[in-house]
Amino acid sequence: MIGVGYAKHSDPATAVKRCVAALGPAPARLLLAFVGGKLDPHAVLAALRRECGEVPIYGGSAAGAIARQGFGYSGFELGLIAFRDEAVTPRALITRLLLPDERVAGAALGDEVRSQVSRDAVVLLLFDSVASSTPLRLHHASSIVDGFHAGFGDAPLHLLGGGLLTDMNLTGGWVYDGAEVVKHAAVALVFPPGIAAETVIMHGCRPVSTFMEITRIEGADVYELDGKPALAVIERMLGLPLGGAKGHELSLMATLGQKQGDPFAPYDENAYVNRLILRAAPETGAVTLFEPDFALGTQVQIMSRDNSLMLESVRRGVAAINSTVAGSANLLGLYIDCAGRGSARSGAPVEEAELVARGLDAGTPFLGFYSGVEVAPFAGGPSKPLDWTGVLTVLRPAAA
Amino acid sequence: MSAALSQSTPGVLERELAYYRRECNDLGARLLRLQEEQSQAFREARRSRTVARLIREAYRLADGDLAPEEIGAPILEMIVENVLCDGAALLASDPAAGDGTFRVTHAIGPHLTDALPRLVLPAPPSFFFTTSRTPIEPPAYELTAILRLPYVLWAYDRPTGHALIIGNQSESNVSRPFEAGDQELIEGALSVYIDVLLRKRAEVELRAAKTAAERASQARARFLATLTHELRTPLNAIIGYSEMLAPRSPYQLTEASRDDYAQQILGAGKQLLGLIDGILDYSSIENAVPALAAEWLPAERLLAEAVHMVAGAAQRRDVAIEIGTAVPGLEFLVDPLRFCQVVQNLLGNAVKFSRTHGRVTIGATLAGEGALLSVRDRGIGMRPEDIPRALEPFQQIEGHHARSFGGAGLGLPIAKALTEAHGGTLCIESVPEEGTTVGIRLPAERVRLTIG
Repeated sequence: MIGVGYAKHSDPATAVKRCVAALGPAPARLLLAFVGGKLDPHAVLAALRRECGEVPIYGGSAAGAIARQGFGYSGFELGLIAFRDEAVTPRALITRLLLPDERVAGAALGDEVRSQVSRDAVVLLLFDSVASSTPLRLHHASSIVDGFHAGFGDAPLHLLGGGLLTDMNLTGGWVYDGAEVVKHAAVALVFPPGIAAETVIMHGCRPVSTFMEITRIEGADVYELDGKPALAVIERMLGLPLGGAKGHELSLMATLGQKQGDPFAPYDENAYVNRLILRAAPETGAVTLFEPDFALGTQVQIMSRDNSLMLESVRRGVAAINSTVAGSANLLGLYIDCAGRGSARSGAPVEEAELVARGLDAGTPFLGFYSGVEVAPFAGGPSKPLDWTGVLTVLRPAAA
Repeated sequence: MSAALSQSTPGVLERELAYYRRECNDLGARLLRLQEEQSQAFREARRSRTVARLIREAYRLADGDLAPEEIGAPILEMIVENVLCDGAALLASDPAAGDGTFRVTHAIGPHLTDALPRLVLPAPPSFFFTTSRTPIEPPAYELTAILRLPYVLWAYDRPTGHALIIGNQSESNVSRPFEAGDQELIEGALSVYIDVLLRKRAEVELRAAKTAAERASQARARFLATLTHELRTPLNAIIGYSEMLAPRSPYQLTEASRDDYAQQILGAGKQLLGLIDGILDYSSIENAVPALAAEWLPAERLLAEAVHMVAGAAQRRDVAIEIGTAVPGLEFLVDPLRFCQVVQNLLGNAVKFSRTHGRVTIGATLAGEGALLSVRDRGIGMRPEDIPRALEPFQQIEGHHARSFGGAGLGLPIAKALTEAHGGTLCIESVPEEGTTVGIRLPAERVRLTIG
């Protein structure tokens, strides 16, 4: 009912040919494509049209792709998911209006989804993460998701998602909207009522400071922590001044984490929402976060990436989801993996994506992609955008 | 601090809290730095393993069927994947285009156009890299233009003339800017490419030498077999008729018979001379490109002269030769003797392989930017698989019918070699029992129109 294919080649036509061959001959009703950032999106689309005919194609750029046959983040990877049966094929709803106002676009999309779905529907939200590269500006997932929730309302919903990137350096991102290559767009893939999802979020950060209060913030720019310049506080923790790269390296080292629930409860990785640091401004002493969803008075902690914790979290998460879905007719395992977790960037001695690909129940078709931000149901509440996480979802038939 | 002390001394609780906060932050900072150091060490280790991974993957390529010029693309793909850069290119120096000129042979990158660029580097460095502090002046100016990426890492191997460049859009690509310590990586990657390229080229040369040796050996064998046959026949005629004409011959010969036998001996002698001339001619062409004394000749005159040369043979076999299309004013820049020899060989073959009362057509037209001279017969023709063999020396195509025509099989190989010496190409189209067309294409620089 759902097939997956993976290939890696610098020539788009060859990559498509091999990937389609891996999918098998059965025709698809809808294709979901995750295309490495060094492959020309138009050439890939044309090749997919040649190989698969006029099937609607959604998805977009990916910093890399993950499959059982292989994985990588060279930019030459191509991952395809073919939905072949009406009972499992999602319906696609699109907004192309992220540029003027992400929240408004998200709300319109949420409202449209509400008109189409029943309770507990599974929705996969994909959008291009980079609004502009010079200067670097992101399409904030928190604004899109907030808007989506506002438009959708309070009904239970299993909202998953990922921000699409062309590479680990946030160079760009684009979306396939069913017919063409677009930017500033979000696609909501709404699965039929018979589909249910199980999701685990795998983390990898640990607090290394006491709680600090944000005492000055404008949007995603945090100016002060506990009344001191935020950058100076973080520099002191790191023990190094920022270099000429204006804090690019910060995103490799530390994040700011907000603990949910009881702040004095024992450490639980699932209690933290982390925000990566996009850049630093030595002239103002501010750090810019990936998302603008922290506010004045928010209590945060400086978090350190912890590679061994990340790998433990993956092993634990995969084991948990295997146990949950054991015995059911699983349709698809989808892994939305923060690009920073790849060992070229994180410095992890083992690729955590490989642990997922090998660890997930072998009978479940599996594909993943490296993303800029992940969206998943959080702590029993509505879905949130997350940084430095791996979101593993298994789709299966809903219980009667 | 004991609970009793905390409770008994005013302000102690606050101090204790401040103490633990400070310790927590200090320990956290140490943990953060340790984590970062560990990550950085792993990233550097990963980078330093790049060359080892390249060697492993590149030598797998070397064992494959790719031609030398085809290995650049997959090697670049491996480099980009392992180094995680945004673009990469291989370059080769091009001394023919001028000192310090390089051409890009293969490239991967986000800003590349279809036409791979050339660049001039008067003093190409053996190693170079750019950072945000590098002034945009030579060679940074030229090197960053190759991939149109601002941060590049370059290595150049002067003895072989090959260079490798990788580039990034952002300075802190994935982990850190390029630095002097990356020399080993870029030079190692370039060395891997050069090693595999040279190995592939050596393989190709070896294979070509082996093929040439095998062909030479086959040619020698065919040469001996041909000689045995082609020398024996006229020699037998010469010896036989000479015995009959000898003074004490027991044969009673009439005057007419004597004349006839003398003609037969003369014919056989000429045949032998022709054979020896052919062998010497082919041998000289095979050993060195013939020196040509080219001059502009009207195509019409050239065709007419060649037809005149084979008119006798055509008459004997009752084969008509027609001069077909010959564009007025068309002239060829050719060596009159050598090119006439080519056309004569082709016409001779066409006549030889035509049936009695057959017809041969010769013509010359403009084709593309050059010209096409063609000779067509309606004779016995050849099977497609026989065509390459017809171009080999001392090769007679299969079949009793074809063999019955005799000859050393040197006409077409000589014609082909002389055509190529003129910068042209010779091609054959043939259908068994329908006939053969041999075409000679001359390049634009050897063709002109003097009128019209």
